[in-house]
Amino acid sequence: MSLQRQVMASPLPGLDARRGFGGQMSMVVRGGEFLFVGGLTAVDPDSGERIRGTTMSETRRILANIKLLLEAAGSSLNRVVKVNVLLQNMLEAPEMNEAFAGFFPEPPPARTVCGACLPHGARVMIECTALA
Amino acid sequence: MYEVITAPLPGLDLRRHYGHYQSPAIRAGGLIFCSGMIAVDPQTGERQHGTLSSEAQVIFGNLKLLLESAGSSLDRLVQVHALIHDSVEYDVLNRVYRQYVANGPPARTVWAVQIEAGFKVQLDVVAAA
Amino acid sequence: MMTEKLARSAIQPKNPLLNVSRSANLPHVPGIRVGDYLFLSGMGPIDPRTGGRNHGPIAEQIRTTLNNIKHLLESAGSSLERIVRVHVVLADISHVEEMDRVYREFFPVDPPARTAWSMPLRFGNGCEIECVALVD
Repeated sequence: MSLQRQVMASPLPGLDARRGFGGQMSMVVRGGEFLFVGGLTAVDPDSGERIRGTTMSETRRILANIKLLLEAAGSSLNRVVKVNVLLQNMLEAPEMNEAFAGFFPEPPPARTVCGACLPHGARVMIECTALA
Repeated sequence: MYEVITAPLPGLDLRRHYGHYQSPAIRAGGLIFCSGMIAVDPQTGERQHGTLSSEAQVIFGNLKLLLESAGSSLDRLVQVHALIHDSVEYDVLNRVYRQYVANGPPARTVWAVQIEAGFKVQLDVVAAA
Repeated sequence: MMTEKLARSAIQPKNPLLNVSRSANLPHVPGIRVGDYLFLSGMGPIDPRTGGRNHGPIAEQIRTTLNNIKHLLESAGSSLERIVRVHVVLADISHVEEMDRVYREFFPVDPPARTAWSMPLRFGNGCEIECVALVD
């Protein structure tokens, strides 16, 4: 019997990738027992408008949106197994890290952080994998 | 179902040494998701900056310790993201990398990115439990 | 607590010209099947007829790369529709819009989760794409 694949519904219009992102991606896809959350930059969850701020404020916004997405999919932050963080500037990693400490419950998931060139002037992009 | 893999040796607790808000690895659904591994001394946690080769050797040693403590091994690696500081070191990476994955290597993608603390290489891996 | 031990094996494309791991003697495989999950190595714009690299406009490179992924997945008992996660890397971030136009042709319904960014790529490639999929 094949593993279930399902695009999870978005809880708010701003987090609906089909509307806000031109339809090229789903925000959360279930594959078997995992949820795969696509790379998110900071957007307003109601309007989908891109929010530009500091590395810390963008990280906070993205993590808040991930929480909304996971809970809408029947999961939660404490079921996240792995987070990948891409930063436009690795020198700002400490600010990103501080935002994490306020968010994830103990013990935190595994994580990898690196610096790369992000689209649309974003300072932070985060993707994660969680148990459904 | 969801299990936190703690550091098998104190140096591999990057949270304790560097404040990285992460666990060393998480086992779930038959897979082990590891935090990006860097070249640190597995006992003391001290950074072991060096050449890409020397750093990669420390990293593979650390991954071996971590995965084996979780009942897995380097032979059970499924996917690797090989983060390198400069894509010009691609051949250097391959020379050292192939020594550790001789028994059926995993899938791999090489990422030429900025790595923390000026390290030349970091390995982000998923293994089968 | 019993730890599940998923079976692990390498997957290969039916078209050997798309097996860069083998042809270039690199320390990886085109993909790994673990349980019913497939983790693919980064795929580039390799011309499936010649094994050489396609360095035309980015739209063509994306098309070639995604067709190669389609071939590899189908060789392994999967398909584009079973992809759950995609990483799209571009050598030039300004190619995002053009990439999107081609990309959505391949995932018209219920597209996978995606992360897209830019970093230097080897071999003059304009793109590299990696994915995780489920077998059929």
